[in-house]
Amino acid sequence: MKGVSQIAWMALAVLIVVFLLAPIVLLVMFAFTSRGIANFPIESLSFRWWDEMVNHPQFAISFKNSMIVGLSVGAVSAIVGTMAAIGLIALPRKLASTYMNVLILPIMLPGLVLAVALLSFFVSLGMRLGLWTVIISHVLFTQPFVILIVHARMANFDYRVVESARDLGASPVKAFFTVTLPIIRPIVIGAALIAMALSIDDFIITSFTIGSGNTLPTLVWGMIRTGLTPSVNAIGTLILILTIGSSLIALKLTRYRG
Amino acid sequence: MNGRTLPLMLTLPSAVIFIATFVLPFIYFFVISFWVVDYFELTPAATLVNYREMADRYVGVSVFTLWLSTVTALATVIIGFLYAFIARFKLPGFADLMIFVVLITMFGGYLMKIYAWKTILGNEGVLNSALMAVGIITEPVSALLYSPGAVVVTLLHFGLPFAVLPIYASMRGIKDIELEAARDLGATSLEIFTTVIVPRCRAGIVTAFSFAFLITAGDYITPLLVGGKQTLIGNLIAPQFGMQFNWPLGSAMSFVMLAISVATIFVFSRLMARWCRI
Repeated sequence: MKGVSQIAWMALAVLIVVFLLAPIVLLVMFAFTSRGIANFPIESLSFRWWDEMVNHPQFAISFKNSMIVGLSVGAVSAIVGTMAAIGLIALPRKLASTYMNVLILPIMLPGLVLAVALLSFFVSLGMRLGLWTVIISHVLFTQPFVILIVHARMANFDYRVVESARDLGASPVKAFFTVTLPIIRPIVIGAALIAMALSIDDFIITSFTIGSGNTLPTLVWGMIRTGLTPSVNAIGTLILILTIGSSLIALKLTRYRG
Repeated sequence: MNGRTLPLMLTLPSAVIFIATFVLPFIYFFVISFWVVDYFELTPAATLVNYREMADRYVGVSVFTLWLSTVTALATVIIGFLYAFIARFKLPGFADLMIFVVLITMFGGYLMKIYAWKTILGNEGVLNSALMAVGIITEPVSALLYSPGAVVVTLLHFGLPFAVLPIYASMRGIKDIELEAARDLGATSLEIFTTVIVPRCRAGIVTAFSFAFLITAGDYITPLLVGGKQTLIGNLIAPQFGMQFNWPLGSAMSFVMLAISVATIFVFSRLMARWCRI
């Protein structure tokens, strides 16, 4: 009896795992097939959609823009978010928890509402839309993730090592750079990679705040709207490699488990 | 410098970013919901005309959005709960692997997931062609795509990781000894489930519901790509900031949508609280 119910639970778990993974696996799979449409039976494997992707006139600039935005957002969010997390940990618990709940509000809001609010604000200030406005907007919704991740690690940080350094005559700044930072560095890099992955993946906020340029997701959107071009699968796979790749490294670095 | 100045200074850059790109934009955004557009010019005013237009013309789409978001959020919470439950209590040996799968899919790309569902559910798509190749059906089932069901499935897929993680985090807080104590006191498996496990996961369940609800209520890409003629409120909001150029109306719509969402989440959280008091 126990065996039967165990098998039933296993079957259910497998079903949900398949549901979660199938769309992503199929997307990647059809980036390497020869036919124009994503369906079965598969005729033969091919790289033609990758050729087409690379030769797309907008591809190089969109890729470059995605990289500029992703790397800047990762760096800025990691620095600002880490500072905030370290500050929060030193504040009284109640104040820190309220403060943190306020700072992470942006991730609860639908992207569309954030996007149009930012767009109208930028325009009203007379700011020219471009990569700058995208980077600023992305920092807003990625810094909460950095704060949450780094704060969780700092919560069980052994402060005695910092105190020892201070006792031995290190200034607070020197103690931070020679003791605290080396210890939390993997977490900070992990958090930066998560911020970068979220930024590279973002479509809605980017599409409203970029003005006329393109990043990879907005390029894909243009292609989807103008008809099913299979190199969408190739670009999609490229975005997946970038986002899942960096988050995999991040998961390894932060040892984050739920 | 005293004990609090330095920590507060460290949070300053984050706070400045938060105020400059969240608080101020939202105050401005709320204010323009009382403005009007006059000859393609945004004109300050103090009128409720946008909210009235909302009440006159868009009740139907608001109700539909509320309904579809509730269905999606409930489905996401139930399946997410089930998955977390299996990982924590039924197959603990596979828990790490199961959570790893969830974390991977969480970063699997918003736009690409929706596009993947479009290619799966379409007439010449993966599901139809596979079913035809196997011989289960002879003609493509066209009802798969462009239906509210397709929107729910797509958003369920997108929201599931955001539901599993907080629920699983709450479940990890339940110690086996608590369940054993309940059993020793004579509780049946069902009683343990409804009076110990679910109440202990309340915070996670409410977070999961909120995420899933807000993802659907604010979405406009999924209805465009896999939905049918019936659109969500987001499909009316987005064009106000593009082609239609009516920011005040778009702003009013956004705040009505947020108000509906907050109210629904509040009701859900009260219902959960009532359940948990038994």
